[in-house]
Amino acid sequence: MGSHRLIRLLSSVLVISLGLTTLVGLSTAEGTPPADFAAFVLSLVMVIAAVAVFVGVINLLAVHLGRVRRAERGWPYSLLAVIVALGVIALRIADRAELWSGDLEGEQLSERAFEAVQVSLESALAGLVLFFLVYAAYRLMRRRVTVWSLVFTGALLLALIGWIPLDGAEVLADARAWFIRVTVGGGARGILIGVGLGTVAAGVRVLTGQDRSIRG
Amino acid sequence: MINDAGLVWAVVAVTFAAMVAGRFIVRRFRTHWRPIPAYQILPTLAADAVESAKRVHFSLGSSAIGETSTLAALVSAEVVYRLAERLAISRQLPLITLSHPVTLPLAQDTLRRAYLYRRTLDYYRSSASAWYPPGTAFAVGAASLSADIDADSNILLGRFGPELAFLGESALRHNQALIAHSDLLEGQAIAFAQAGEVLLGEELYAGPAYLGGTALERGSVLAQDVLRWLVILGIVLAALQTI
Repeated sequence: MGSHRLIRLLSSVLVISLGLTTLVGLSTAEGTPPADFAAFVLSLVMVIAAVAVFVGVINLLAVHLGRVRRAERGWPYSLLAVIVALGVIALRIADRAELWSGDLEGEQLSERAFEAVQVSLESALAGLVLFFLVYAAYRLMRRRVTVWSLVFTGALLLALIGWIPLDGAEVLADARAWFIRVTVGGGARGILIGVGLGTVAAGVRVLTGQDRSIRG
Repeated sequence: MINDAGLVWAVVAVTFAAMVAGRFIVRRFRTHWRPIPAYQILPTLAADAVESAKRVHFSLGSSAIGETSTLAALVSAEVVYRLAERLAISRQLPLITLSHPVTLPLAQDTLRRAYLYRRTLDYYRSSASAWYPPGTAFAVGAASLSADIDADSNILLGRFGPELAFLGESALRHNQALIAHSDLLEGQAIAFAQAGEVLLGEELYAGPAYLGGTALERGSVLAQDVLRWLVILGIVLAALQTI
């Protein structure tokens, strides 16, 4: 337990000192030592993020290979995920090594595969979000009819109907525009201010070493 | 570089002072908290999962250490820890999905600490935290994994965009409980419509205090309220000046 306490102490000291010096660095003029240090810390974070993508891919392969090995429910999909991931990595390596010849010479097949499969699939799925939302509003009303669920459904209907370019229904379009500018704008700012205040309170907790997640 | 450095330091100082004062108040006086239904249900969901030997799916979305969602990631991980502590008596490991690889070590460490605390580290596996590429791929992958493990409930905390709709829809189709939050407006709107209980905006940051937090964590909720009233006062005064 002694070593555990030492790790906790060290991680707290590290977080507090790095947090405060970065904050000081960001508050001072560019070119000063604290500002340079803050820039260094932030660039270090960028490098870690880049390396972490590699760790993420390893994790994805490990999780799905584990599911295949244990023959868990849905394991064929996991096998497919592993094969596709390895295939895309192989394509990318081949692209970088410029292995393609003939008609494919100079082509970036990994980018083509990404656009053909990933982008089109994502676009198709994004189109479903609207239907999910409308269905969710219906389910919300069926589950519990409260003032707030009525407001939500009313707002959704106004936003959808007001968007339709119907002749003679300009009043609905105007109502929608007013609604989005005034009511939605106000509500959105309220939520964002709340998130900001919560972030500040949690940030001060971290800066003072009181957040348990950073204590190791 | 921060433009209003003085203002930033003033906000930090006021928050710190309010937090220390809040800590003193919650220690000395009996304080009453506004009930947040999601935090009342979460411990029950954890207990149900243990009793029924089922797994719980937590998701941190695209919350990322080193980006603007750093604190959302840290607080979400802390809420996950408080619940994982309760789940760690079971062999059924919770699943944590996320789409930012930097958050992966945080998720793994959160679970490891919970199992270490319960002295059941033998049950822990690092593969209980799963990364998926961001966007729709994450939502579809996490939703299918949650369905495959027959999760008892889905608890989505942190940063989610419209992809939350897929996770929510899948949870509802598989009769899994859904509690959701997002610090993005799109995700928050979808969470409101789909989730059984929703955490709105800053309610996430009060999570550690509501789930058996320390005096300082409870004090920070009071600090949040002080800041809120200061902002309201500022807005009202600014509005009055323009009249």
